[in-house]
Amino acid sequence: MKIMNCPLNGPRNISEFVWGGEVSIMPDPKSVSDLEWGEYCFIENNTAGVVREWWCHVPTSYWFIAERNTVTDEIVRTYPAGEIFNKRVEFAKQSEDKK
Amino acid sequence: MTASNQMGGINRLPAPRGLLIDRSKQITFTFEGHSFTGYAGDTVASALAANDAWMISRSFKYHRPRGVLTMIGQDANTLVQIGDEPNCLADKRAIEPDMAIEGQNYIGTLEADRGRMVELVKKFLPVGFYYKTFHEKRDSWRFWEPIVRAMAGLGKIDLKADFHHSYYDKKYLFADVAVIGGGPAGLAAALQAAETGAEVILVEESPQLGGSLNYARFDETGDGGSRTSGELASRVRLQPNITVMTNAICSGWFADNWLPVIQGNRFHKLRVKAVVLATGSIEQPAVFRNNDLPGIMMGSAAQRLIHLYGVRPGKRAVILTANRDGYGQALDLLEAGIEVAAVIDLRPTPPQDTMTKAVQRAGIEIRTGHAIAEAMHIGQKKHVSGVSVAPIIGEGELGKAVAEYACDTVLMSVGYSPAGQLLHHAGTKFGYDTRSHMFKPEAVPAHVFAAGSVNNTFDLSAVLADGRYAGWAAAKDAGFERGSELAPPVERGAEEQTHPWPIFPHAKGMEFVDFDEDLKIEDLINGIHDGYDSVELLKRYSTVGMGPSQGKHSAVAAVRIVSRETGMDLRNMSVTTQRPPYTPEKFGHLAGRIFDPERRTAMHHRHLELGAQMMPAGLWWRPGYYGAKADRDQIIRDEVNNVRNNVGLIDVSTLGGLDVRGPDAAEFLNRMYTFTYTKLQVGRSRYLLMTDQTGVITDDGVACRFHDEHFYVTATTSGVDGVYRQMLQWNAQWRLDVDVANVTAAYAGVNIAGPKSREVLARVCHDIDLSPEGFPYLGVRMGTVAGIPARLMRVGFVGELGYEIHVPASYGEALWDALMAAGGLNGIRPFGVEAQRVLRLEKGHIIVSQDTDGLTNAYEADMPWAVAKSKPFHVGGRSAEIQLKNGLTRKLVGFTLKNADDPCPEECHLVLKGSAIVGRVTSAVHSPSLKKVVGLAYVHPDDAQPGSTFDIKVHGGRIIQGTVVPIPFFDPENKRQEM
Amino acid sequence: MNALPKTVPNGLQRRSFLYRQLQQAGAEFAEVNGGAVAIRYGNNEAVELDRAKAMGIADLSVLPRTGFKGTGTVEWLQTQGLTIGQESNVAYRQSGGEWAARLAPTEIFLVDSLAGSGQLIDRLNQSWAWGSEKPRKAIGYPTPRQDSHAWFMVTGQHAPDMFAKICGIDFRLHKFAVGQIAQTSIAKMSGIIIRTDLGTTPAYHLLADIASADYLWPAVQDAMKEFNGGPVGLNALRRLEG
Repeated sequence: MKIMNCPLNGPRNISEFVWGGEVSIMPDPKSVSDLEWGEYCFIENNTAGVVREWWCHVPTSYWFIAERNTVTDEIVRTYPAGEIFNKRVEFAKQSEDKK
Repeated sequence: MTASNQMGGINRLPAPRGLLIDRSKQITFTFEGHSFTGYAGDTVASALAANDAWMISRSFKYHRPRGVLTMIGQDANTLVQIGDEPNCLADKRAIEPDMAIEGQNYIGTLEADRGRMVELVKKFLPVGFYYKTFHEKRDSWRFWEPIVRAMAGLGKIDLKADFHHSYYDKKYLFADVAVIGGGPAGLAAALQAAETGAEVILVEESPQLGGSLNYARFDETGDGGSRTSGELASRVRLQPNITVMTNAICSGWFADNWLPVIQGNRFHKLRVKAVVLATGSIEQPAVFRNNDLPGIMMGSAAQRLIHLYGVRPGKRAVILTANRDGYGQALDLLEAGIEVAAVIDLRPTPPQDTMTKAVQRAGIEIRTGHAIAEAMHIGQKKHVSGVSVAPIIGEGELGKAVAEYACDTVLMSVGYSPAGQLLHHAGTKFGYDTRSHMFKPEAVPAHVFAAGSVNNTFDLSAVLADGRYAGWAAAKDAGFERGSELAPPVERGAEEQTHPWPIFPHAKGMEFVDFDEDLKIEDLINGIHDGYDSVELLKRYSTVGMGPSQGKHSAVAAVRIVSRETGMDLRNMSVTTQRPPYTPEKFGHLAGRIFDPERRTAMHHRHLELGAQMMPAGLWWRPGYYGAKADRDQIIRDEVNNVRNNVGLIDVSTLGGLDVRGPDAAEFLNRMYTFTYTKLQVGRSRYLLMTDQTGVITDDGVACRFHDEHFYVTATTSGVDGVYRQMLQWNAQWRLDVDVANVTAAYAGVNIAGPKSREVLARVCHDIDLSPEGFPYLGVRMGTVAGIPARLMRVGFVGELGYEIHVPASYGEALWDALMAAGGLNGIRPFGVEAQRVLRLEKGHIIVSQDTDGLTNAYEADMPWAVAKSKPFHVGGRSAEIQLKNGLTRKLVGFTLKNADDPCPEECHLVLKGSAIVGRVTSAVHSPSLKKVVGLAYVHPDDAQPGSTFDIKVHGGRIIQGTVVPIPFFDPENKRQEM
Repeated sequence: MNALPKTVPNGLQRRSFLYRQLQQAGAEFAEVNGGAVAIRYGNNEAVELDRAKAMGIADLSVLPRTGFKGTGTVEWLQTQGLTIGQESNVAYRQSGGEWAARLAPTEIFLVDSLAGSGQLIDRLNQSWAWGSEKPRKAIGYPTPRQDSHAWFMVTGQHAPDMFAKICGIDFRLHKFAVGQIAQTSIAKMSGIIIRTDLGTTPAYHLLADIASADYLWPAVQDAMKEFNGGPVGLNALRRLEG
């Protein structure tokens, strides 16, 4: 069984984790076309190589990000989601900016 | 020979031979109905051999007699039935008093198997039999099935037996370094790793440490092995940081050095930083005519019989060899009083050393450059009776037989193959070494180390050095450095161990390459000529290597044959991929002790005391209804009526509960749910509908605002864990100032519902104004009930005046007791999930995942009122826009039956438009309150207007008509719940 | 103590989910924190103490505990006099014998001492209030830990070996120190294990979903069987603590 290093809890059996999909940045729902929105919802890149993924440590419900090589299944690095998502997301402001 | 020796069997050798047996403890068992006596420590096979019983089973296809081959459980020859347990390895399983053992694979008796006649029709059982027979002529299965089922297969399972479940369990084990294999390399590795500072677990499949040191001969005097074994084993015992596991088998290698180790009924999950695989090598058979007869065995098997069990392998032996070990065996046999008729050496000019010279001095005939052409037998192949010997004139080519030797034993000592299974599992690349004529590990993955004969190392001092090096390297890899750096041995002594071509076809065939599957040289050649010319393809086609021993003796020979037939270079080939497990595992080991968590509410035992029929809801148990199963329908109607007319109490503890708190709490709910919560007043609640990014409904509930910054959010029983996880994942991105806590289990809850619920509640709740004005419909309050701190909510799920009361879970049973007592005067009675489903359906409330599916959006569910259009964003909002624009293909409607006499449809009965399926019934019930069928169904949008009719296909294909009606069905103005 | 009337679990409002199983095992109860805690099983206290030293399990579910989480939690608790270090997944012992388990940078699970007086816990629960200042100062939020988790204590020298049968964490004494926390999967449930030895006896708080208490209690005891383990009362734990 693989080991994954949880940034909060340390190395644990992979059975303690659930996968939460690739990290993808949501397009601005106000400006995105229907087609692009559909692609964002339904199309996965399925990259062969290192991908960024959401993983959750189930006993603590702790979400973090793992960089994993989909070819070798090697977990390259794990880190808190705050490394990528480091500022408050405002939807109202975004749409106002565009006006 | 003393009396006690005779008791242990006529072939029993005197002490000190018999390392594993205890001659003071006799054990009697039966084999094929005959009584035998052996010693404690004997395996089934050694005890039988001691009593001169050599035939243990019959082969899979031709039902040929088979006997001892390896004495270490590497072959399928010794699979026996012990009681109701099939396929036990007779050469591994220790005998126990009164064990009842039977052979396998015969019709009638093992001695006189009627199935042995199959061999006579072998030309009708060609290689690729299944492919050829069933691929083209599929109907032929009907003819062949009963025959194949009767003849093939291993062991018997008595399906009528009273199956007992033994206790199996699993346990984790941890160490810095694991050493798999307790032979010389493993012992040296464990000692070195431990001395370097690592915590070590040493896993050995036999009862004793030592491996080949305990039975093989390393020198002329024959005591070097046991001396080294004793020394190393005693040093291991003195080393405090080595844990030794004997009778333990590591059956696989899994990611990040996770090693399953089976010992008795326990499956260990061993996790280490580094692992040394010192798994040794597997002696390979020679392939010649009738090489499968009982009495023909590996040289190492004979040595195991002699030294481990004190059993004489026969009276007169011929040794076929291509290495030094064959000469060691000759000396062992002589010392044990067994006549050696001849040593037949495949090599034209074998190197001379002290052991070969000792054999010469003993006057034993040595024929070099010769091979066995054929083995002869007595009595329907029950035992070998002699061999004919011929000169080797080319690779696998023999001249005319030049001699015959009468013998009852033939030892094969012609080479080895690494027991590289675990290395294979770990992803090691093996390459063919043209000097040693063996495959050897070339690229071993990180944190894995190989040592000893699995690592192409055979000279004893080199094996020990290789073990020490691997132990040191593994400890270093695990983070330990003590003492000086070690280097691997330069000379490994791997040459002159393995013959490159110990395969000798015979004009009359029956030279077995694979004993498990009864495959002969010609079968493999025919398979290759049928077009299956790669090792992997040939394996699937011919089944070579697919039997219980998984190619341990056939894989290398198969590769050699493919190489020669196709002209491929062995250096570019490998044996077929090895996958776990290394040895067969029992389902009991894999299952272990079953852990099956379930969740119970605080009132669980009260429900049982009240006679509830419990039903599962996810991991939870909930009361379905209270009373006997026979009265189910009437009980549910009574429970419904009591809520409508009086007062009922239901346990709603399983309902999800989330505390959402912080300055951004309202903004957070606005984003997670379709509705708007910013302006919800403190002390009020509002419906929640959750959709995912694609606009599909995933959950619903109620948001109760207890403070400007505090919402108590309910979620469905089965949905709450997913909702909670989704909330945390989204806020990991949004970074709103909000905290979400899943408090589901921390609160027990009840819904007291019915026109008299206020009256009952007032008896135990004194600090909340319960008047309709003071605590109106959809209001929420904090207070106490029966002195217990409580969160109260006026909700309308069942459509009556009612209060949900949530209290800390440890008070749940006391709350239930208090309300049941307070309602006694009013005839309060508990109601279950079944009644609640009826009550809510009468009100037309949906249940997410019953009335919705994996594609339902808010418009299809006819809930556009729940989707706020003015707010900047919610999850699924963008998709909802698109869904609204695209229009509907189906719509959820309430319906009754056009003809009141028609049967009530069931969930998932189809809704048709003409012949097209356009939807389905999601819920339907005969309403006790309305005395007619009411239900919810997806219909075509054109048929969704009240008054429209649509077709429902019910049981038996009958079509009935539903009529669309507005919901709620009951109390359409919702007056009762708003009292 | 013998002079007092017998405490009956369902005579009190706060009840362990397990009380029927404890009664069946022959528990004698005493009132703590408005609930009944099993103080001993049978009359041979020496035997029970030996069991606690080797392999025992106690149900402390009615004893006081609480929790706080969210931004500002640790800082607020520190102003309330608690000693809480930097590291997460470590429990910090308080002067009254309580343990503040830092489950995450902004989350504390606080369990009372075996005395169960609830002094500190009651004080904290009562002190916490929504601030009226603008903007409101972040002090975290209370969490209902008294009721979210059943609370067992597993004691004895065989505890690490026993845990290895139900949990994938290495609990051996030299690998899992006093004060260390594991939030992990236990007998296929999520749970929290905190090592807080009692005198020289290894001891572990085991906190897991209260709704599965009826399942977990016998599951752990099943794993204890080979070590002759079984239930022990609060008295035995208090004597171990000395």
